[in-house]
Amino acid sequence: MIEEDTLVLDLKTKSKQAVAFEVLVNTYKERLYWQIRSIVLSHDDANDVLQNTFIKVYKNIDGFNGDSKLFSWMYRIATNEALNFIKQRAKLQGVSDTDYQDKLLSNLEADVYFEGDEIQLQLQKAIATLPEKQKLVFNMKYFQEMKYEEISEILNTSVGGLKASYHLAIKKLKQYLKED
Amino acid sequence: MNKNKKIPFKTPEGYFDSFEDKLMDKLSKTESTIPKDSAFKVPDNYFESFNESLKGKLDNEPKVIPLFPINKIMSVAASIAAIALIALGYNWNSSSELGFNDLANTDIEAYFENNDFELSPYEIAEVLPVTNTEYSDFLSSPIEGDNLLDYLNENVSDFDELNIEDNE
Repeated sequence: MIEEDTLVLDLKTKSKQAVAFEVLVNTYKERLYWQIRSIVLSHDDANDVLQNTFIKVYKNIDGFNGDSKLFSWMYRIATNEALNFIKQRAKLQGVSDTDYQDKLLSNLEADVYFEGDEIQLQLQKAIATLPEKQKLVFNMKYFQEMKYEEISEILNTSVGGLKASYHLAIKKLKQYLKED
Repeated sequence: MNKNKKIPFKTPEGYFDSFEDKLMDKLSKTESTIPKDSAFKVPDNYFESFNESLKGKLDNEPKVIPLFPINKIMSVAASIAAIALIALGYNWNSSSELGFNDLANTDIEAYFENNDFELSPYEIAEVLPVTNTEYSDFLSSPIEGDNLLDYLNENVSDFDELNIEDNE
């Protein structure tokens, strides 16, 4: 696999940019997709946000100064794009973010790209009840199996804080699923 | 490496470093009622064809081309300003400069409402110095101390989220 420093350098060099961007997209599209999908839920919306994320990365690569890893930087962009997407859609429809997310959940049952059984649907409803940060941490740790150190760099939160958020999320989800 | 020479056993490299994470993971998975598969699917060949659709979107991205070159605008603006200055006569001692206070609150609100800054409330909070802002400035009724404590107790699960050190 191509070294990150080389990839960043190539992305900033006009003559090598196109090839480097292709490598970048191929390397990260799936991981970023699942991060976005866990927030926006629908495939079509995830596709839009993923494309916007890569366009933003392409346009802003010159501003990437290497303070964090390229992957963390892109993950942050993807997460913010997805969260902003939800907020903008809610605003457009004149409803609160929570109401909009409820609507997304109710659409899930008819979504052809969601093949969940009753318990998986309940789990998505349970996840929707978590505070935003716990929701992000849970999805990144449980479904995407990311390391706390990676999540820490992306969400700019201490590893200790993340562990607390994660275990609290697990506790709440179990409670929700038990009660329901 | 075993630091106690009397015990002839060794552990795999990095065993203790990753022990806590593994234990926590196992604890959270024990008797778990939470399914591991999120059940989200993608259309067939979605990832294979993603590069092409992205390329199409990138090629169609509108490029911002200025309607008029800035130099031309500047020279036209300067000419108009000079003519206006001569025609109307400029009052050099005038003290009535427009300031922030001259803006109506509704104009400011409308500006924020109609312009998309792509900033989340957290990002805005990061640049807004807490020390210079009185909460009472934007709250219609004051918050009672007990209510605030109740709210924090019920809603803040992660103490780090408060960023207390950063705002001190």
